Amino acid sequence: MKRKLCLMAAITLSLTGAIKAQGIMGGHVTGNVQLDAQMSREDTVIGAENVPEKLLMNARADILYTNGDFSAGLRFEMYQNPLLGFDAQYKGQGVANYFVAYNGKQLSVTAGNFYEQFGSGMILRTYEDRYLGLDNSLLGLNVHFRPFEGVTLKALAGKQRIYWNYGAGLVRGVDGEVNLNSLISSIADSKLRLTLGAGFVSKYEEDENIPSPDNPEFRLNLPLNVGAGAVRMDVSYGHWSLQAEYARKGQDPSIMNNYIYRPGEALMINTTWSQRGFSANLQAKHVDNMSFKSVRSQSGEMLYINYIPAITKQHTYAFLSMYPYATQVTGENGLQADVMYKFQKGTLLGGKYGTDIHINSAVITALDTIRTGGVGTEGYTAKWFALGELYYGDVSVEVAKKLSKSVKLTTTYAYQVFNPVVEGHAPDLYHNHVVVADLSWKVNKKHSLRFEAEWMGSDSYYNAKDEHHTDRRAGDWIMGLVEWNIGSHFFVSASDQYAYNDGIGNYYNLSVGYTQGATRLQLGYGKQREGLLCIGGVCRQVPASNGLTFSLTTSF
Amino acid sequence: MKKIFYYLMGIIGTISLACCDKINPEEYTIYDGAVIKWEKTNTTITPVQRVYVEKYTGPKCNNCPLADATLNNIHNENVVVVSINHPTGQGTPFPDQPDMRTDGGNAWDNYFGINAIPSAFINRDQSKLYQGSMDNIVSDIDQALSMTPIVALDVAANATLNNDYVFVNIDLMFAKAYNRPVTMTVALIEDSLYYKQLLPDNSVDENYVHNHMLRKVITGFWGRDVEATGTAGECVLGELEFSPSDDVKLQNCHIVAFVSDKSSRKVLNVASCKIE
Repeated sequence: MKRKLCLMAAITLSLTGAIKAQGIMGGHVTGNVQLDAQMSREDTVIGAENVPEKLLMNARADILYTNGDFSAGLRFEMYQNPLLGFDAQYKGQGVANYFVAYNGKQLSVTAGNFYEQFGSGMILRTYEDRYLGLDNSLLGLNVHFRPFEGVTLKALAGKQRIYWNYGAGLVRGVDGEVNLNSLISSIADSKLRLTLGAGFVSKYEEDENIPSPDNPEFRLNLPLNVGAGAVRMDVSYGHWSLQAEYARKGQDPSIMNNYIYRPGEALMINTTWSQRGFSANLQAKHVDNMSFKSVRSQSGEMLYINYIPAITKQHTYAFLSMYPYATQVTGENGLQADVMYKFQKGTLLGGKYGTDIHINSAVITALDTIRTGGVGTEGYTAKWFALGELYYGDVSVEVAKKLSKSVKLTTTYAYQVFNPVVEGHAPDLYHNHVVVADLSWKVNKKHSLRFEAEWMGSDSYYNAKDEHHTDRRAGDWIMGLVEWNIGSHFFVSASDQYAYNDGIGNYYNLSVGYTQGATRLQLGYGKQREGLLCIGGVCRQVPASNGLTFSLTTSF
Repeated sequence: MKKIFYYLMGIIGTISLACCDKINPEEYTIYDGAVIKWEKTNTTITPVQRVYVEKYTGPKCNNCPLADATLNNIHNENVVVVSINHPTGQGTPFPDQPDMRTDGGNAWDNYFGINAIPSAFINRDQSKLYQGSMDNIVSDIDQALSMTPIVALDVAANATLNNDYVFVNIDLMFAKAYNRPVTMTVALIEDSLYYKQLLPDNSVDENYVHNHMLRKVITGFWGRDVEATGTAGECVLGELEFSPSDDVKLQNCHIVAFVSDKSSRKVLNVASCKIE
């Protein structure tokens, strides 16, 4: 196996010897490289710890060779040593991911590492996110078969990547999707568009000895094969569309659910009305015991087979994303409404250039459960959509208006209620008000400036002597940012976040960047506040740091 | 192409139906030990009283080798010693050394309240518990050996060729009537284990030979009920099988089976055999 891998790596690397040499053996080589480096020193005020290695580095290179229907690729990764916040088990370097694939008209086959998703991912989604330090790719075989126009069948089997190894659990899955408009010629041009799908995933894992807490002579009778199935539909008619998926999982006692035998289920509904200048979206979800991992004893974010989509808005401004919501796969109810409207130019509110208004609100609660037991029992009972304690709620109003040909102002107000229990802390409720003003000014053809001012008022507070109030995000904050873009190549930015009341820390940052074609270099110096980085409801703890950062990205 | 489509649909359907285990609520937890199948026999056994010595020890216990020496000097095949690694403190392994603690040993240690090592028990008789000093243990063992046996016991064990399974046969005969419920506990014991041990002079012997080490309680910690009425002369045969873990060398192992009073947990008799 290792010899084959080395041979494949050698072939692929030799092909990339002439990086831009498209047309090698009739094929095409593409790729990208990313390097992130970090230096940090001890800072007791913000909680940054000394880095003994002085320099930490994450690097990767993706190389893809394509020749007609055939493709092959690999990814080299290096963590020497991993950046702060990345698991130390990543330490090392090597070929982390490799595959060969055939992609024909009716049949596609991938052997090696692959990423796949069934429906919205509630029963299977393998993906990687370099910023979260997450890669749950499957090493195995993935087959897509398209017997008729509008019909896609998928079948796969493999083991999931965990750091530099593969989890012991074996994952098998099948999925079918039918687009009725493509399949039935009489409705091919109908305004009503309908796609139906269904999937099933099963994982096999060897038995292990988990003692019963009530009687040490007894152990849990673990299901070795755990199945999860889902049905879904995607329907649209004119401006309206609806996506719905229901998933159900068999008994899956694991460390994530405290080894209970209650089956899992989840429902996700998403409906949208969209027309020129206006769109409205409503999402609802119910998740009950849907942690589905290929290794039952694996805690944390690794080895998830499935993915529960987040329905809270993915905020980008610093204070709006200071308390991100982490999806609770063990149970939650959620509702989100999102409305966008454009006041046309020439109207009272639209003015000379028009005005965009975006209102978003989400509320996530726990399930309303009645505990029936602990390890080795059904665990609890819960009613559908009966609401438990509040996990998260927010409402944000964003108004974007072009003030002149060269100046655009975006202002945002948001109110958030955050329960730290979703991050594993004691239950509480923090109430935050956030105001953001973001002004872009295109000074001339070569220069542009961006100014950002943010304020957050919160009833949370920091107290080093109280273990429930040591969160350094706490308190009231202000922030300013100036960004200067010089031509299309350079940029310089400076920012400062300061906790001026009941909080701790002054987090300044300076950065400069240079972009040439597909290559981008960035050098930064400053302080990073500890907190959570969440992407799509999946989060990584980011520790505090104080020092230099450097990044390089390029593609070819 | 249609054929392939139907085959694929068939595979999908089969996988969907087959790849999911369902556990009934009454089976969420299961007995974690081998089950003994009992049957009545006419096989009579010559009653021999043997003595079960349960010794609690630990690799970081400097006085434990003294207890080993005392018990190793008893050259009597009717004395069956089982060494149990204390779960905490001096019982914990040195770094990078094998961990000889077992779930069963921990349960026994906790139940009998072993708070110091070395300790030793004769037939699980609370009045014959030695903690620290092993003075007088030899004379107490001799006294226990002189008792008239209530039950007679023989044990034999065979392993499959690839050592995947071990089959154990236990012959039990009530030499006297005994009208209280009794249990049978079967354990896997390993000799010739070489790992670090603290010595009385506080030096460390890197390759101390550990014998009689409890590796697994096969039947569950407190044994299985003996399916017999307890009338004098009654004979039963118990059969069980188990799958040994990869970390034991079966050629160095033996099986220890002992009969206990279910209520008091005192050991009535014991037998031991090599695995053939």
